[in-house]
Amino acid sequence: MKLTILFGGASFEHEISIVSAITVKDKLTNFDLRFVFCDENHIFYLVDSSKMKATTFSKGEYKKMPQLTITNHKFIQKGLFSSTEHKGTVLNLIHGADGEDGSISALLNFFKIDYIGPRIDASVFSYDKRYTKYLCDAKNIKNVSYEILNSAEHKEITIPYPIIIKPSRLGSSIGVSIVKDESELDYALDCAFEYDNSLIVEPFIEGVKEYNLAGYFADGEMHFSIVEEPQKNEFLDFEKKYMDFSRSEQVHQADISPELEAKLKQTFEKIYRNLFEGALIRCDFFVVNDEVLLNEINPIPGSMANYLFDDFQEAIHSICRSFPREKDIKVSYDYIHSISSAKGK
Amino acid sequence: MAIKSIQYNQHTLDISYEILNPKESVDIIILHGWGSNKELMKTSFSKYMKGFRHIYIDLPGFGNSTCNIALKTEDYARIVELLMIHINACKDIIVGHSFGGKVATLLEPKVLVLLSSAGIYIPKPLKVSAKIALFKAVKLFGSEKLRAMFVAEDAKTLSEPMYQTFKNVVDEDFTQEFENFPNKALLCWGKEDTATPLSSGQKIASLIKNSTLVEYDSDHYFFMKYAEDVATKIESNFLETLGKSN
Repeated sequence: MKLTILFGGASFEHEISIVSAITVKDKLTNFDLRFVFCDENHIFYLVDSSKMKATTFSKGEYKKMPQLTITNHKFIQKGLFSSTEHKGTVLNLIHGADGEDGSISALLNFFKIDYIGPRIDASVFSYDKRYTKYLCDAKNIKNVSYEILNSAEHKEITIPYPIIIKPSRLGSSIGVSIVKDESELDYALDCAFEYDNSLIVEPFIEGVKEYNLAGYFADGEMHFSIVEEPQKNEFLDFEKKYMDFSRSEQVHQADISPELEAKLKQTFEKIYRNLFEGALIRCDFFVVNDEVLLNEINPIPGSMANYLFDDFQEAIHSICRSFPREKDIKVSYDYIHSISSAKGK
Repeated sequence: MAIKSIQYNQHTLDISYEILNPKESVDIIILHGWGSNKELMKTSFSKYMKGFRHIYIDLPGFGNSTCNIALKTEDYARIVELLMIHINACKDIIVGHSFGGKVATLLEPKVLVLLSSAGIYIPKPLKVSAKIALFKAVKLFGSEKLRAMFVAEDAKTLSEPMYQTFKNVVDEDFTQEFENFPNKALLCWGKEDTATPLSSGQKIASLIKNSTLVEYDSDHYFFMKYAEDVATKIESNFLETLGKSN
């Protein structure tokens, strides 16, 4: 089966996306893969599979590769005398802005290209951590208490220390700090405001149990990965998460009770259904006093969380069989015809 | 990394900075040269001098810091000072490479560290003076398009305010400023430096009363190779000042 891996993007997580794409390449050997790189100026390049190395991008070698344009149902590679079409399903592997904020979803929807990834509405609710909170409230899903800060107005934080400060619209722990007392606050705020004008402040729960679960909907039912308890010392900072994105070795199921596992899956399904269909997502949960709290949704997890699935290739195959169908809108001009005929023209 | 918005002369400048070893009480502020940025300095020095709080700053118009007005070296010093107030930093040790060296000198730290600093005017070779004269003549006939052919390598990709800034700061003579510098200075130079030759270092050493010149077998970016040695010298220079004040 043909599958186009779309990666890069004008995003703070651009490099992570490259690492993800390289990792996924080795995990999808049954597929006829094509690699489309989106650079920071939104130009698409067709990257030969043998050139899928980090240095191809860091050294700018990709600029010599054929450029692609996007149109209905396909990417087009224009040659001197002819042009080549690249059709087929796209795996949206652009992390952060562009990929997860709904831009790429909108682009692919608009051009009627099938893709694995969150649809526009799912992107909106998972990309901005404020809206994830609103989604939790609407779907009655427990989450960590929070406050919102904005760079334009000064507001006191009322949550007692230690607190965790995150940019509203970034993943991968970029710009995130734990603040233990007031002396650390100012610098932590400057660090987060470098990336976003809006910040989320939450209490930092020391020693909290954290579990990751990935899943997707296909062939009429939910499919779940194993539950993983991520390794952490306090929390994963950018460098550790970066390593995390290139993970490919299988991990072990977390040592948890069947009841807790069922609870995690139940919460996952509640978040996923009627919003994330078409995407393989990973949800990160906290467990506090036997209560499952949603920490964050990764609608395009690093290297597609391949290491959490027994049969990752089958997972990707089955999503491709089960895309949510958009309603086709037929323009019939019935209304104009009826007026015209009424006027006798 | 972090961003602080600084108001300066009715303009807002976003200054990108990074703090390492935040719990240490002695501050070392590290300023990069023209066309460079704080990452280069951080790569060189972050591993060393763990007893100091390192503050790396992108000067306005470089790295992730913005600049939409033309500045003079003096303005750079005032903006760094404003940032220091915001982040509660002291002028214990300030390190400046090349252009950053001039900014560091104006800030009058307790220990000044100049790494191949700019500030000594070197007359231009005949070829360059001729090029400038030719361009000025051509400009009379209105051929602005030709500018790209004449502009210095350092200025080619600059925005309009930064080009003005470049003209403000390049070829500045800091003889007076060096002479007036009242505190201890450590001067480190690459012997094969062609941008700011060793003779500049020797001249500055003669101008600043309390100064030591250390020479390295390398070029304008010698500190990338000799960061550990430079760091050790900075530490011992700082310790000497403590000894005296007690």
